[in-house]
Formats: sequence, C-alpha cells, structure tokens
Amino acid sequence: MKKNILAIAALLTASQLIVSCQKQLDVNPRERILETSYYQSQQQAFTGLVAVYDQLGNQSSGYLTKLNLFSSASDDHFAGADSPSDLGDMQAMNNYTVNSLSGAPSYLWSKGFTGVYRANVLLKKIEGITMDASTKARYIAEARALRAIFYFDLVRIFKNIPLILVPIEPSGMFDVTQVAPADVYKQIETDLTDALSALPVTIPTADAGRLNQGAVHAVLGKVYLWQEKWGPAAAEFALVNGTAPGASTYGYKLLPNFADLWNWKNKFNSESILELSYNTTSNMGWGNVGSREGNVMGILVGPRNYVPVIASQAPDYVSGWSVMPITKELFDLIHYDPRNKPTVANLDSLEKAGIVTYKHANDNTGYFVEKYAGRVSTKAAVGQLELNFGQNMYEIRLADTYLMEAEALLKSGAAVGAGTRAYIFLNAVRARVGLNPVAVTMDNIMKERRLELVAEGQRWFDLVRWKLAPTKLAFKGFQANKNETLPIPQAELNNTKILQSKEWGGTK
Amino acid sequence: MALPLALLAQDIPVTGKVTEQNGAPLPGVTVKLDGTTKAASTDANGVFSIQAPVGGKLTISLIGMATQTVTVPAGGRINVSLAADSKDLTEVVVVGYGTQKKALVTGSISSVKAKDLESMPINRVEQALQGRTSGLTIASGNGQPGSASTVRVRGFTSFASSGNNDPLWVVDGVIVDNGGIGYLNQSDIESIEVLKDAASQAIYGARAANGVIIISTKKGKEGRLSINYNGFYGIQSPAKKLKLLNASEYAAIRNEAYSNSYNAATDGTFTLPYANPSSYGEGTDWQSVVFNDDARRQTHEFSVSGGTNKSTFYTSFGYIDQEGIVATPISNFNRANIRINSTFKPAKWISFGENLGYSHSVNSSLGNTNSEFGGPLSSAIHLDPMTPVIQTDPTAIGKSPYTIANIIRDPATGFPYGISGPVGQEMSNPLAYIQTRLGNYGWDHNIVGNAFLEIEPIQNLKFRSSLGTKLAFYGSESYTPLFWLSPSNTNTKANFYREMNMTLNYNWENTISYSKSFGKHHAYAIFGQGYYMDNNNRGLNVRFNNIIAQDFYQSNLNYKPATADIQGDGSDATLHVVNSLFTRVTYDYDEKYLFTGIIRRDGSSRFGTNNRFGYFPSASIGWVPTKEAFWKENNIVNFLKLRGSYGITGNDAIGDFSYVSLVNSGRNYTFGTTDVSTIGWSPAALSNPDLKWEETHQTDIGLDATLFNDFTLSASYFKKKTIGVLQTPPIPLYLGAAGGAAENVGDMQNTGIEFELGYRKKIGELNLGINANISTLKNKVTKLLPGREFIEDNAQSFQGMGNFTRTAIGRSFNEFYGYEVAGIFQSQAEINAYKGPGGTVLQPAAKPGDIKFANLDGNETINGSDRTYLGSPLPKYTYGITINLAYKNFDFVAFGNGVGGNMIFQGLRRLDVTYGNWQQSILDRWTPTNTSTDIPRVADKDLNGNYTKFSKNYLEKGDYFRLKTLQVGYNLPGDVIKKIGAQKVRVYLMSENLWTITKYTGYDPEIGGTVLGIDRGIYPQARSFMVGLNVGF
Repeated sequence: MKKNILAIAALLTASQLIVSCQKQLDVNPRERILETSYYQSQQQAFTGLVAVYDQLGNQSSGYLTKLNLFSSASDDHFAGADSPSDLGDMQAMNNYTVNSLSGAPSYLWSKGFTGVYRANVLLKKIEGITMDASTKARYIAEARALRAIFYFDLVRIFKNIPLILVPIEPSGMFDVTQVAPADVYKQIETDLTDALSALPVTIPTADAGRLNQGAVHAVLGKVYLWQEKWGPAAAEFALVNGTAPGASTYGYKLLPNFADLWNWKNKFNSESILELSYNTTSNMGWGNVGSREGNVMGILVGPRNYVPVIASQAPDYVSGWSVMPITKELFDLIHYDPRNKPTVANLDSLEKAGIVTYKHANDNTGYFVEKYAGRVSTKAAVGQLELNFGQNMYEIRLADTYLMEAEALLKSGAAVGAGTRAYIFLNAVRARVGLNPVAVTMDNIMKERRLELVAEGQRWFDLVRWKLAPTKLAFKGFQANKNETLPIPQAELNNTKILQSKEWGGTK
Repeated sequence: MALPLALLAQDIPVTGKVTEQNGAPLPGVTVKLDGTTKAASTDANGVFSIQAPVGGKLTISLIGMATQTVTVPAGGRINVSLAADSKDLTEVVVVGYGTQKKALVTGSISSVKAKDLESMPINRVEQALQGRTSGLTIASGNGQPGSASTVRVRGFTSFASSGNNDPLWVVDGVIVDNGGIGYLNQSDIESIEVLKDAASQAIYGARAANGVIIISTKKGKEGRLSINYNGFYGIQSPAKKLKLLNASEYAAIRNEAYSNSYNAATDGTFTLPYANPSSYGEGTDWQSVVFNDDARRQTHEFSVSGGTNKSTFYTSFGYIDQEGIVATPISNFNRANIRINSTFKPAKWISFGENLGYSHSVNSSLGNTNSEFGGPLSSAIHLDPMTPVIQTDPTAIGKSPYTIANIIRDPATGFPYGISGPVGQEMSNPLAYIQTRLGNYGWDHNIVGNAFLEIEPIQNLKFRSSLGTKLAFYGSESYTPLFWLSPSNTNTKANFYREMNMTLNYNWENTISYSKSFGKHHAYAIFGQGYYMDNNNRGLNVRFNNIIAQDFYQSNLNYKPATADIQGDGSDATLHVVNSLFTRVTYDYDEKYLFTGIIRRDGSSRFGTNNRFGYFPSASIGWVPTKEAFWKENNIVNFLKLRGSYGITGNDAIGDFSYVSLVNSGRNYTFGTTDVSTIGWSPAALSNPDLKWEETHQTDIGLDATLFNDFTLSASYFKKKTIGVLQTPPIPLYLGAAGGAAENVGDMQNTGIEFELGYRKKIGELNLGINANISTLKNKVTKLLPGREFIEDNAQSFQGMGNFTRTAIGRSFNEFYGYEVAGIFQSQAEINAYKGPGGTVLQPAAKPGDIKFANLDGNETINGSDRTYLGSPLPKYTYGITINLAYKNFDFVAFGNGVGGNMIFQGLRRLDVTYGNWQQSILDRWTPTNTSTDIPRVADKDLNGNYTKFSKNYLEKGDYFRLKTLQVGYNLPGDVIKKIGAQKVRVYLMSENLWTITKYTGYDPEIGGTVLGIDRGIYPQARSFMVGLNVGF
C-alpha cells in the first residue's frame, strides 16, 4: 500500500505542474522593456528624442562618417589610410569606384532613415503621453526639424528616396515606393517651418546641442540655397546672421581668433549654429565602434606611425591612420593664407626639419588635417583613447551662413557692392583672419568657402551644387550625370519596390 | 517435451567459464537451462555454476555477444568462448525516455557504442560521431584544442542565426546545449544514439527538429569490481603549411603590383618599393614562427565500477591536457573530469540513483580561430617576409617605429620584435602578440547530472521521476599590458579584467509506463510530463585600468587603481521555459508487425499567447518478413525489417521575446559641455505577435537486415520538410528600425539516402570487422515570404565585398553568390571590344590581365545584377569507414571520413592589406608573358575589382577524405599479465589526422560554422602521433 501512496503522491505533484504551466511560460523579460509599455512619461519621451539626436553624430562601425566619405570624394583630400585598399569604403569614394554594394551608400542611407524612423516613432508615441504642453510642442518641433535634416541629406545624396512620415507596420514594409525629390523638399520645408514657433530662441549651456530657431533658419536657408531659391535663402540667412556681423538675434558672433574654433573644449561657442556633439567618457572600444559617443576622426586623420624626434618642437599628435591627407592643390592655395596653420598639419615640413618621423602611407602628400587631429593632450581618460576624442564637429557655423548669404544675394541679383550685406558678410569672414576686403564675385565666394571650411564636409556638396564637380573632380574619376548622387544600396532593391536611379543603371 | 526429460534426468553440478575470444573472462553472462526457469550468471572471473542434467541444453547469452547453446556433458565441465554478435539487431538502443530492442525499432536511429570509441583520441563527443554514423554532417569549428564542432543532423532546418541548427543533446536525460557538451569525458560514454527521423524525435517535440543526440554514460554492472586505466601521450604538428612567397619573390611581386598601379606621369613620383628584389633572399618564414611542430597532448582516464544486486556504481576520473599547434603559449586546453553514477535497488519495487558529472577546464585561446581580422595565424599569412622576427639592426632600432613607446621586446634578448612596415591593420608580429596575451585564460566548472526515482507498484507499471540540472560557473581572466603592435593595434592603459558567470538550468520529468504481453501481442505505453528551464545565466565583470602589475601573473584585484579606473558591468539572460506533456505507445505482434505512436505537446516562453503551444505527433510501422512462416530460413537474408515513419517535430530556437518589440537604450547623445552622454531609448525591432513554431515534417522509409550471416545493412531514405522556418529577416534599411520582427519566413526541404554497412568475420585467428556508412543530402529552400526570391540572413561577407552567400528558393541554404568569370583580358583591344548590347564598354577601368566578368543580365554595366549562384558550401555526401582487425594479441583500427560535392571560400588573403604576402600560386599570375592563367595580374589599386568583387575565383572544391585515426595495439599475453593480477594490458600506437586527400589549397578543408566552408584562415587540426596504455583489473 505504501508504494501505491507514493505513486499517487507523485502523480498529484505532476498534475499540479501541468495545471500551472501556462503561468510558468510567462517569463520575466528582466530589465528588457516592451515597446508597448514604454513612452508613458515626459522623461521617456525625452529619451526618445535623444535617440533622434543620436543619429546626427552617427558613425559606422567601420569608421565611416558623412564627413570623411565626402571629404575623400572631394578635391581637398584623398582617402589616404595605410594602403589603396585600407578603409576600402573611403577609397571607393575617393576613386569613384563606389557602387550599390559599397559600404558608403548603405551607411548613409541607413543613418538617415534610422533618424527618420526614430523621429517618426516619437512623433507617433508622444501624442498619447500626458505631459507639459509646451515641452511636448518643443519635442515635436525638434523631432520634425531633425527629420527634415535627415531628409535633406538623403535627398541630396540619393535623390530618389521614399518619404516616410509614420512608422511602417511590418505588413506594409515591402510596399514603400519612392517619391519625386520635389515632394521631399516640400516636406522638409514644411517640417522646418512648422517647427520654428515651438523652439526656443537660445539654448542654455546645459542643453547645448539641441535645436533652436537660429539653427532651423540656417538649415532652411541651406535647403532653399540647394534648390536655388535664392531670395528665400538669403532671407533665412539674414535672420541667422543679424542686421550686422555680431548683431544676431540668436547671439551668433564670429570668434575673434580662427584657431579657437578648433580647441575641443570650446564647444558650442558663439559661432556654432548646428554642431555634432561627442564626448570622451562613453568608453568606446574596438568592439563597439560607432555605437558610442567618441569621435573617431581624431585618430583617423592623424599621421601614421607618428614619432616625435625633437620632443620640444614636435606637436603632440597621436599617431593616427593618415586618413584624409590634404591635396597638394589645396595646400598650395592655403599655404600663405592666415588660416593655414590651424587648418593643415604640415608633417612634410616637420619631417624635413628632422623634428618628427611618420609613415608615408597611401596617397601621402605630407599635409594632414590639423583642425581636429587627435593630440596626446586631448585624449580620453577612459576606454580606447583612439576612439574617444571629444571634439565636436560643425555642421553649420556662422562663417558658413555669412558666405551662403553672400552667395544667395549675389545669385538673386541683389546689389553686392561695398556696403551691401553681401559685401559686409563676405568680408567679415576675411577680416576675422586679417585679410583685406574683396569684391563679391562667385569666384571670390567659392575661394573663401574652400579656404574657410577645409575638412568640414562642405566642399564636395558645394562643387556638386555649383555644377563644378565634373571638371574639378575629373582627376578622381567623377562622371557627370552619375556621381552627383550615390547609388541606392543594393540591399534596398532586393524584394522591395525601390528602384535604382537611372544614373546607376536603374529605371528611376 | 523437454520438461519431462528435465524432471526425469538427474541434475548434477555444472561449472564452467565463459570468455571472450581473446581469452578475457566475461562476467555477467546469463546461463539458462532450457525449458526451466533455472539460471545463473558468471562472476568476475567468468565462472558460473548451475545444477543441470547431463544432456540438458544451456543457453549462454550476453548482450552484444552471439548467444550459444551448449549441451551439458558428462562431468559437468563447460568452457565457452563467446564471439561478438555480428547480427547486432539483438542489441538494445536508447530511445527517448526508455530503451528498445534494436530489432523492434521502427525509427531511424544510429548508434555509437563504447566499444567503437575505445582508446580513440577524442576530446569532444562530436568527434565520436564524425564519420561513424550516417546522416550527420560534422565539421570541426577550428583546431584550437577543446573547441566545438558544427553538427547537423540530416541537413539544415532553419535559417536563423548561430545555434539554431544545432541538435538537441540529452545526457542521461539532462538537456545540454551544443556548446556545453564539452564537459563530457569520452570514456564515460556507454552509447550515443542519434535520433534522425521524426518518429524517433517526436518524443522531444518542440526542440527535436534539428535532431536529437542521446548520450548514456556508463553504469556499474553487477558482479566483480572492474578497474580500468587508459591513457596516451603524444606530439602534434601541423599537417600542412602553406607555400608563401619568400622575401625575394615578395619584393618582385610587390614591385610589379606597384608598377601596375602607378606611373611617373600621373602620380608625380614613381619609386619601386624594393630596388633589388633578388637581394632579399628567403626572409622570414612567419609560419614557422607561429606553428609548433612539437605540441604535446596527453589523456588519462581511470575508472572503477562494480555492484551487487542491491546497488551498482561507476566512478571515473579523467584528465586531458592538449597544447595547440598555433601560438602554443596562448593556445592550450586542459580538463579534469569526475563522474559518479550509482543505482540503488533496496527492494524489488523501487530503485533510485544518480548520474553526476563534474568537469573543470582551463583554456587559453588565441582569440582568432577563423577570422581575417588578425590573430597569429592570419598575421603569419599576411606579414611580409622582409620584416625580421626580432629586430637587431641598430640603425632600424634607432628609428620609427622602434622608437615608439610600448613596443614589445623579446624577453630573452631585450631586442624589439620586428614590426612590419608595409603590413598593418590588425596584423602584427605573432610573437609580440603572444606577449600581450600571455597567461590569459578562460575557465569553467560544470556540474551536470540527474537524480531519479523509479517505483514499480504493480508488476510492469513503472513510475519514474527524474530531476536534472546543469550548474555551471565560467569566466575568464586577462591582463593587457601597454603595447604598440601596429598603428591600429595599441593599448595605452595596462588593465586587468575578470569575468565570472553562473548558469543554473534544470528540468524535471515524470513518467508512468506500463507494458503487457498477451500471447504474442506485446504492448507498451508511457505517459510523461516535463518542465524545462534554461538560459538562466548571470554574470559580472570588472576591469581595473592603469593597474600597477607588470604582467598577468602579478595581476590581481588587490592592486587598487583610482576609482575612475575601475569599470564594472554585468548581465542577466532571459529565461527559456518549456512545459511539456508526451506519450508513446508501442505495440508488436510476435516481433513481426511493429507500431510506435508518439504525441508531445510543448509550450514555450518564446512565443506570444497567440501561438504558445504546439503539438508534435508521429507514427511508425515495421514489418519483419523474415519472421513470417513463408520466409524459409536461408543463408542469404537472415533477418529483414522494413520500416516507415512520419512525424512532426518543432523548433523554438529563436531569441526570447522575438514576438514583441523591445525598447533599447544606448541611443545616446551628448548635450552641453559636461562631456557625458545623455541616455536615449528607441525600439529595437518590429513586433510579430503571431510568431509560431517552426515545424519539420519528416517521412522516413528504411530497412534493417542481416545478410549472408556476416553482413548487417541499414538503409534509409528521408524527406524532411520544415514549414515556417523561424528567422529574423533583414528588413529594408529605409524602415529605420534596428531589427526586423522574427517571422516564420519560409519552407525548406532536406532529402537524402543513408547506408550503414557492417561486416564481421572470423577467419582462423583473424577477426575482421568493417563498418562503413555513406549519406547523401540535398537541401532546398522551397518557399520564402511572398514576393521574395531570396534572403541574405546569415549571409557571409568578406571586408568590402559585401554579402557573398544567399539563400534562395530552389537552392540550398546560403549558396555562394557572385560574379561568373569569363576569362582574363589579354589585351586593351579585348577590353574595348567587351561591350554591352548598346555598345557601352563594360569594364572601362580594366587593364590587360584583369578579370573579365560575365555580363549575365546583358545590360550596359557590370553590376550587382550580374551575379549568380556559384555552388554550395554544404557537402552533397559524407562518408566514413572503420576497419578493425584482430590477430592473436594484435589489433588494428583504421578510421577515415570524408565529404564531397561542396565548395569552400578561400579567403586567406585580406583585400585591404594590400601589401600582405601571397601564396605561391600568385607566381602564376597573368603577365604579358604568362597569359594562359586564370589568376589576374597583381596591382595595388584594384580598380577592376579582381579581388574586391566576389567571383568564382574565390571558390575551391571542398572534397576530402581523411584518415582520421590509425591505431595498432598489442595485448600482453594472459600468462604475463596474470602475474600482476590484471585482466588486460594493452599497449598501442596511434596517429590522428595522418593523411588527408584534398585539392583544397588552404590549411584544412574541414571548416565548421553557421555556414560551412568559409575559410578566413582557420586554425587547422593537428596531426598527432601517440603512444597509449590500457590496463584492466
């Protein structure tokens, strides 16, 4: 009998387990948060907004950034690096062998649309969040303006893109189609214009990096300029630049000393309008390049195998990877300009003087980017120092908007003689570095933009905008009516309704 | 009619001895007097005694041996020598939750028994299966000692990422994950059963679709105390070295590559990299620096077992110590095992016991075993032969890079290790690299076991409860010194890192079974319930930066750095819970008509409430015509069983919470000037609440036969169709979400034929045994989501060339996909003439000597749409053969295995290391004077994409046959060993991987991984020579 009781007891235990099994299958997701239970508070909305900003400064795991890709493609730089095949995605931009399978299109496309998605998610979710109304309006404005910024890059780089304004459900994810570029521009203008009123005029230091009205006006001006809407462009820049140099509603002023722009501690200075922000403390390592907040450009542009020989005279560069060496042509142009020293790291002359040695790597010219070359004195305290430089990058700064306004005014047919806004603002940029005034001509503006904005990611876009790329970049293999845009990444064409651009062998 | 005889005849005491054919005594042999219930069994010395009449028939039987019947002679003395059973259909095989007589099995099950593995140099259990059973594709992950192999049972059933095609491993009823199976000691294994068809697998329901491998460890046997020792010791060396360019050849090729890309007119300067190539001589042979031709290996296994009719025990101790053949100081493995298996049977109706294994292993891994991104082997392939191993030239030492702080020096001489000028990236001097990792190791403690209780309240009604658990602790310790290996490989903060993790998984299973015979009807039923919890992992780690310690051996956490230099982190995994009910019914009539039916219901925490539970039924039938009356006994077909089965199994191997979207942090940005990140969150992926089980439907038809008395044959045909393959498909990037939703995306089919053939014959004093098997496999994707012709999940890529494998409808899992080569351009005229239909020159950047890519889409450009399918990395057939010979005291085993019909991606040279060394095959490159070749010209700037485009040139045939083990043993004669009281003393010589036939040009054609056959410089398997000793008391 005893044995029967044992058997029955065991059976009862077993049946108990069976009854409760449904409950046991509901396991605790441990600190993982379900989307359905997130976006409940103002604080959670804010983290959603931060995620949108995150894409502004996004760098790929393979060290790609918008800046180093288009600089490599320009006539100011080569891709450089160790060998002709090192950092191949930059080389492909440099020698115009880029194609739909290359890394650059895929990275830039993904960077933009990820930003768009995060903005769309926030815009959708924030509706249901109970929070302070003006804060909500500001978050919405920021998300829309950021979405416009992402779309502006996407439409400039790829031309034929889908325009996605709400998060797409899985059921419809392969049905998305491209729209006419004009429609994208229209949406960009709408988003930017609508955003203005809910944004603050100025931003306190603690929040610096977030959008204010000045930044949105500057972006809008650039959007108009790109569409050759000269009058509206000039009007937007006028709002940014103010009635006179230094008299901007938003407090923008040129820094008196050009070199101070490149002191990494000098973040969000009075000349900064839209800045990509990084820090030294996010502890980025080789395994998570791009997913944290260190700026990889510091190590990329440094001279390779750099060794000080006469320590007292040698700059304290960190030995880098020789990316984006400056072309001889640009060097010859800037050599006797006051901006030369803060712009160019002249390893050629340092080496000839016996002060330093470095490796003459791929496409070496001896001239490197000084503006944000990593230095021992600016290296991070934690993580891989190579990957955690904290220097910010200017997406738009005041000298840029001064020059863009001058250009827009000139193109719009406005008066450009001495005393006009165009003349004053063009020459304010020159005067800051001690140069004499020049007349407002397209040649002078183009030359000024080139010398002022070296290595700031503007040159290639300027050349395309001015339709000079086919001639200026012919030596690198630029083909007219093709290389003005990048091909749509091959993976986007697979199983979707997205079509390749005509310029790249497609039908769109 | 024997009964009256037995009654009438006078019983006398009968004694005798039962031995194996080599004279070793056989304990535990059953001796039964026919027609009575009288029986006895042999003792430790093989001796039995029984009361029997003269002329009575004694049946002498032992599982695995051919049963003999002897007549009791006058005097009652009997000596019997039993032969191994050639018709091993009398064997018992382990099936899920029980055992079954092999003759009655209706499913497709392959077995490997302890006997087949005796003294084999096997460190991990997967190797025990490779080539020894049909239906399996097994490839070593790499040759790093202790590393796991990739195991596929009847092909691929799933697209999803790593691990999802791994079979379910069940050790004594405890489910152990594929990676965790390494704790098992080979000599503790009694048998390994591979359940291949759905009818066998369905009892494991939701996790059985990738096949089930059941391992039973040894139990003690009633009878004498048995003590065994087996050990071997040997040396290992690489079986093959690549033929790389020497310094002179390298310089010449480099000059040519440079001249082909630059010229003075357009580039301003033109200086050949090496002025006088022939002056450089042989240079450095980097392979000899990283390879060890004298790596040691030893294994010792010791076991004690025995028991009474109340209890049995088996206990063992094992130790393995193996050095790697690549960068030995940072590549080695050792493991200690203890096992205690006991059974107690205090009364006839109750038994309980435990099977408990503990292992502790310590390994140093060089970190990079099949990766193009650095590591000693990859560096050895790429480094230029100009750079010296150790730089002693004072002029060089005075200059960069040798003047850079933190370069690594040879500890013996103080001179710096050579630093390559031309070759950088992750490549570095392997000896310097070794210095930066010296002493670092990973460790683990595993306790895997179960405790069981079985009661039999009524005869044949059994209740069994089994509680299994896996408790593991694992972690690593490493010290990273300050170093400068190359510009992109530096460390500026000495740090010490420690990681500790814990896993506690368990399962509890309860079954009730009942068996009953009515005349010739035999029925059996089992009903059970199980609860399984795994992935219960948690971990902590800490890193001390700027630690004062000078090397690993000095490092510990008592060196406190500044608080800011202490970084800690931790992790918690999400539990995976499965809850199940299952039942199996078997029935046979006279062992002639056989039937088995199974149903299992599983619930998994990995699915939403919409589809949480799945049902997995199967049925199988068998017919043994040789038992029919019409089948006359003959010497051609001694036994024949036909069997067929159909069933459904499942797979839930997709990440946890794949059915919902989670919000992830880490989308941070920096505001203000305080230099810290502000935390951002956004959804990680899309959601799919309707996610459900992946189901595999499998039909299996086969036969088992004994032919001509000496041959056994087992043949199966299977068709396995997986419906609703689980996957997280890549989504278009324009969606902007970090990941897609997991979905049931497609259907995939595997079909194949398997043969296992055995032959056993005694010819005079020669015992001969041959076992051979061959399996074919055809894998085909039959359906994908609507509108999709292919997917690129798990696709393989190589640096900048993008994905080069693709899974498409009508083709097999991840076939190679790239450009077809139409030849080599011989002249500029040919390039200019190579036009699209519209007249556009297709490859304007090409130069003579470049690859002519086929314009498959017939348009005006060579682009992504010109690519095509170039072959499959999956072998079409796998085979193995074992030959056993025994002659007097000598024995001999040869075991080999092979695969065929697959392609391998030969990615030994990295695209972006332009100045890396080449294999000697480059000497046959195209030049204006060497035009009949398929190797394109060399050039620093690969504007035509000869190497940056994935073309057929990267693929090679992967067929190989490998003589895996060769062993010769000698048993010391009985009279010699008796003096020391031993039962058996055997010495043997053995070689592993002695010989491999292949045309593949890399180190090793056996390459495991999620997608097989991707060679990024795989750590090859060693060739070893060993001497061993086997002693039994």
